[in-house]
Amino acid sequence: MALLELKKVKKIYQQGKIKVPALRGIDLAVEQGEFTTIFGPSGSGKTTLLNMIGCLDTPSEGEVKLNGDEVSKLSQTELAMVRRYNIGFIFQAYNLIPVLTAYENVEFAIRLIDHSSDAQKKEKVLKMLEEVGLKGLETRRPNELSGGEKQRVAIARALVKEPKIVLADEPTANLDSETGAEVIKIMVKMNQELGTTFIFSTHDPLIMKFAKRLLNLKDGMISSDERR
Amino acid sequence: MFAIKLGLRNLTRQKRRNIITAMVIAYAFFAYLLMDSLMNGMEEMSFENIKDLETGNIQIVHSDYWEEREELPLENLVYLDQDVEESLKNINGLSGISPELRFVANLNNGIDELPILGLGMDPDRYQEVFTTGEYLVDGSMFSLGENKAVIGEKTAQLMDLKINDYITLLVRTKEDTFNTIDVEIAGIVNTTHPMVNSGTVFVPLDIAQQALNVENRVSLIAIKVNPGYEESVTETLNQNFNRKDLKLKAYSWRESAETVIALSAAKKAGIGVILLVVLLIGIIGIINNVILSALERTEEIGMMKALGMKEMEIVSVFMVEATGIGIIGGLIGCLLGAIGVGWLVKYGFDLSYAGDMTNYGIPILNKLYGVWNFSAFSFLFILGIIIALLSSIVPAYWAAHKDPVKAIYHR
Repeated sequence: MALLELKKVKKIYQQGKIKVPALRGIDLAVEQGEFTTIFGPSGSGKTTLLNMIGCLDTPSEGEVKLNGDEVSKLSQTELAMVRRYNIGFIFQAYNLIPVLTAYENVEFAIRLIDHSSDAQKKEKVLKMLEEVGLKGLETRRPNELSGGEKQRVAIARALVKEPKIVLADEPTANLDSETGAEVIKIMVKMNQELGTTFIFSTHDPLIMKFAKRLLNLKDGMISSDERR
Repeated sequence: MFAIKLGLRNLTRQKRRNIITAMVIAYAFFAYLLMDSLMNGMEEMSFENIKDLETGNIQIVHSDYWEEREELPLENLVYLDQDVEESLKNINGLSGISPELRFVANLNNGIDELPILGLGMDPDRYQEVFTTGEYLVDGSMFSLGENKAVIGEKTAQLMDLKINDYITLLVRTKEDTFNTIDVEIAGIVNTTHPMVNSGTVFVPLDIAQQALNVENRVSLIAIKVNPGYEESVTETLNQNFNRKDLKLKAYSWRESAETVIALSAAKKAGIGVILLVVLLIGIIGIINNVILSALERTEEIGMMKALGMKEMEIVSVFMVEATGIGIIGGLIGCLLGAIGVGWLVKYGFDLSYAGDMTNYGIPILNKLYGVWNFSAFSFLFILGIIIALLSSIVPAYWAAHKDPVKAIYHR
């Protein structure tokens, strides 16, 4: 059974009286541990597809299954619970909470799902920050971190709860190529060590270079699906 | 716990706006506490003035006199006989008795005439009930049998009178014939009660009784009681009168101060309106703050939702923040309020800036002092926190209800 399954997924946005189709019938299955990249021109539906997979949005037609469970008909509260326990997000703009330290930003994600002792949670958070190369920077606030360091905090925040899937929307778009490469390497390492499934939406050729699977999206349809 | 931590940390964001909101709340609290203190001070002083300078705690009158008392009639007076005197003896809590004869008179200084309230009294007994004698600014109090008078300072200024000047009081006797009381001014008083200062002439009781031809009769007997005995003494007196079939009745000062008490009730309604305005200011401040914060943090809210935070969890973050602002504003407001009220209690508010308060039916002159009302502080502080908490719910829910996709991409 695939970890993630999309069947004939369509998404149509209503803009005034005009219906704008963003996804025109996507069929997709993603297995555990895949390192997949969705690429395509602007407006091809990459972000919309990522939102469907991430249970942030629901399809107009078709179904989305996560771990065999249909999620496309769930309520907002139920979707929030699916996201809480199963999905990690990495955003282009990092979206860290500026009043919290690097440690607290990561701790925030684990506190939502982990009911173990504070000491155990602390150990997990510190370990994750070390894994992404932020040892010694735990007490810094986002405004005291570089772009690359912020994105590492975001990666640690996404991974600390050990989700089934991590979705990353243009994670290197705000980084220079050297820092972007470092960040990708961290994600590749996590994919290999933890077996976490990564799905990217990107234009970055560097990410495509590391991807094990490349999905080319064009006009809301998958035009090619290449496995490496 | 995390919501509390994040909510409190968020207080350090947009410091200037949070401080302005807190200061607006603080100012509203401060204004309310000051008004409350002054209003309560006005009530307390008005009531004290009425009891100490006008009516005493209790007034004993003939049953048929009460309704007509504003006209100052010479009918249905109290005859001071042995039965009446005995009815007033050995009453627990009763500390002073002062018979008074009140009458209409025209004060004539030889040039001008002024309608005044004539008040015949026995100075020794009068001081058992009233504090008027303590406000003598010139001269002294007269004794029974002396053809002397004490007038208020304002009357003296108006009629250009000073100590040892002679005045004539034109009166009508019980039989409705004209008579005069010629008296020398023995003293001038400047009390905190405007009615005493500007419209009353005190003369010895026996002189007044003789001039008005009322024999040993008085309009009323003013009674002073120890604190807390007003009700029991009134009841005992009325029982005594009933038992002796005296056709007398004892009335609490409250019944003769209905106007002031009505003003006091209006004052409470006024304070209620001020409280509403204060709360409205707080509510608008908090709602404005939460909406602006939510707009600025749209992407952050989107991230929280993406991470799986439930709407109520996001709402609670904003509620903690709003409550924090309410607490800070409330504390500053109470602190400023305490300073302001302390100043009003010690130094008072000069009423000369506000004009003649008698025009508004308030029997106070010179300075109005505030009073401490600690329950107002705690009430306002707790209410402020509750209002801050409640007023943040709707905008916080609006923020938390945002579509996660639109929030993340700030569409």
